[in-house]
Amino acid sequence: MKDNVISEMDVTTDKIKISARDVQVYYGENHAIKDVSVEIQDKTVTAFIGPSGCGKSTFLRCINRMNDTIDICRVKGDILIEGEDIYDSNVDPVQLRAKVGMVFQKPNPFPKSIYDNVAYGPRIHGLSRNKAELDDIVERALKRAAIWNEVKDRLNAPGTGLSGGQQQRLCIARAIATEPEVLLMDEPCSALDPIATAQVEELIDELRQNYAVVIVTHSMQQAARVSQKTAFFHLGNLVEYGETDKIFTAPEDPRTESYITGRIG
Amino acid sequence: MQDQHIASAFDRDLESVQAQIMKMGGMVEDAIRLASQSLENRDEELAAQVRSGDKAIDALEELVNERAARIIALRAPTAIDLRLILSVIKISASLERIGDYAKNMAKRNTVLAQLPAVSDSTGAIRRMCKTVEAMLKDALDSYVQRDAELARDVIARDEDVDQMYNALFREFLTFMMEDPRNITSCMHLHFIAKNVERMGDLVTSIAEQVVYLVTGTQPDEDRPKADDTSTKLKG
Repeated sequence: MKDNVISEMDVTTDKIKISARDVQVYYGENHAIKDVSVEIQDKTVTAFIGPSGCGKSTFLRCINRMNDTIDICRVKGDILIEGEDIYDSNVDPVQLRAKVGMVFQKPNPFPKSIYDNVAYGPRIHGLSRNKAELDDIVERALKRAAIWNEVKDRLNAPGTGLSGGQQQRLCIARAIATEPEVLLMDEPCSALDPIATAQVEELIDELRQNYAVVIVTHSMQQAARVSQKTAFFHLGNLVEYGETDKIFTAPEDPRTESYITGRIG
Repeated sequence: MQDQHIASAFDRDLESVQAQIMKMGGMVEDAIRLASQSLENRDEELAAQVRSGDKAIDALEELVNERAARIIALRAPTAIDLRLILSVIKISASLERIGDYAKNMAKRNTVLAQLPAVSDSTGAIRRMCKTVEAMLKDALDSYVQRDAELARDVIARDEDVDQMYNALFREFLTFMMEDPRNITSCMHLHFIAKNVERMGDLVTSIAEQVVYLVTGTQPDEDRPKADDTSTKLKG
C-alpha cells in the first residue's frame, strides 16, 4: 500500500525522539495524567486529541518542563529526549526549552520589532557571533516559517502590527530560530481564520522534515490533516495511540470511536 | 460506544440514508422473486412489471448517493460513521446492479415465453433465484443488525450458487448438442443463469461491506469460487 501513497510524504524515520514512561502529573490533589507511556517519533507530526481537561496540554507542557512554572504541579515518571532524562537535576530548563520550542494557542509576539522577535532566542543563547550571522539566522527562520516575503521590507516594524495568521507564523519563526529538535504546538490555529490555518498547516508539514512536531488540537479534522500519528487522551489516560489513518477509519478503542465520531464531548 | 451523536441531526441523516438502503433492498428482493416467477409461469405481464419497476430502484440509488455525498460534505464522518457512508454507497451500487440483472432476466423471459419450453430447467433457475434471494435477505439483515457472523455465512453460501450455475451450464450445453432447435432458448436461459450467478457475487460483496462496516477490516480475499465454467472446454 505504501507505494501508492502520493498525496502524503511518508514518515522517513523510525527513530524515537521522545520517550515517556509511566508519567504521572498532579495539580495539588488532582491527578491530571495517569500512567502515560508513549514513544514519539522523530520527523513526524504527532497529534494529541481529546476532550477539554483530558490532559493533552498538560502532557505537552511536560515535554519542555513548562509545568515547572506552576507551583502545585508535580511530575513523576521519566521523559527522555534522545535517551536523556529531561527531568534530571543537571538539566537546565532554559537550555531544554531552546531545544524544545513551543508555539501557543494565541499568537504572542513580543512588543518588539519583527526582527527582534526572531533574534531574541539566538541572542540570549549566544548562537551568533556577529550581526551578519544573526541576520542570517533571522532570515532563515522567517523563510522556513513561510512569512519572509510578507515581512522582509518591514523587519523593524512591530511584530504586534501583523495580522493574526502572520503573528502566529512569526511566533513559529521565533520558536525555530534557536534550531530546536522538537516543536510543541498547543492549538496553534485556534485563533486563526481558515486561510491562515491552511498556511500554518502547510508549514507544519514542511517543518516535519527537520523536527519532531507535537501538536495539541481540538479540531479533529486538523489532526487528521496534519499528523501521521495520533494519540487520544481521555480523563488523564492515553487511551489509544497509533497511525492517524487507522485512528480515523477504524480505531480500536470504543472511547476513541465515540470521541472522533462526535458521540462524547 | 454510545449510540447517539451529540449532534442529533447527524443521527437523523445516517438513519434516513440507511432506511433508503433497506427500502431499495426490499425492492430488489421483490424484483428477483417476480422475475423468477415470470420465467417459470411464462408470465409476460409480470415480466413487464419487473422491467418498469427497475426505474424506481435506479432513482433510489441516485438518491442514496446524493444523501451520502451531502453527509460527507457537511459532517466529515470518521471511523464507524465513515465506514457506514462508504458501505452505503457501495451497497446501493450492488443493489442497483442486481436490479439490472433482474430486469434483464425479465426481458429474456418475454422472448422465452414465445419459444417452446426446454425441459424443466426453469425450475433449477427458480431454485437458484431463491437461494440468491435468501442470501440477499440475510445480507440486509446482517447489515441492519451489524452481524458480521451472518455476513460471513452469506459469503460462504455463494459457493452453492456457483455450483448450481455449473450444473446448469452443463445441462444447457447438453440440450444444445442434442437438438439445435434448443439453441435460442438455451442461450437465453444460459444468460439468465449467468446473471443470477452474478447476483450472488454482488450479494457477496454486500456481505463483505457489512464485515468491513462492523470490524473495520476487509474480509479475506480468498472467498470461495466454485464457478469453473470459464476454464471448461466441454460440459
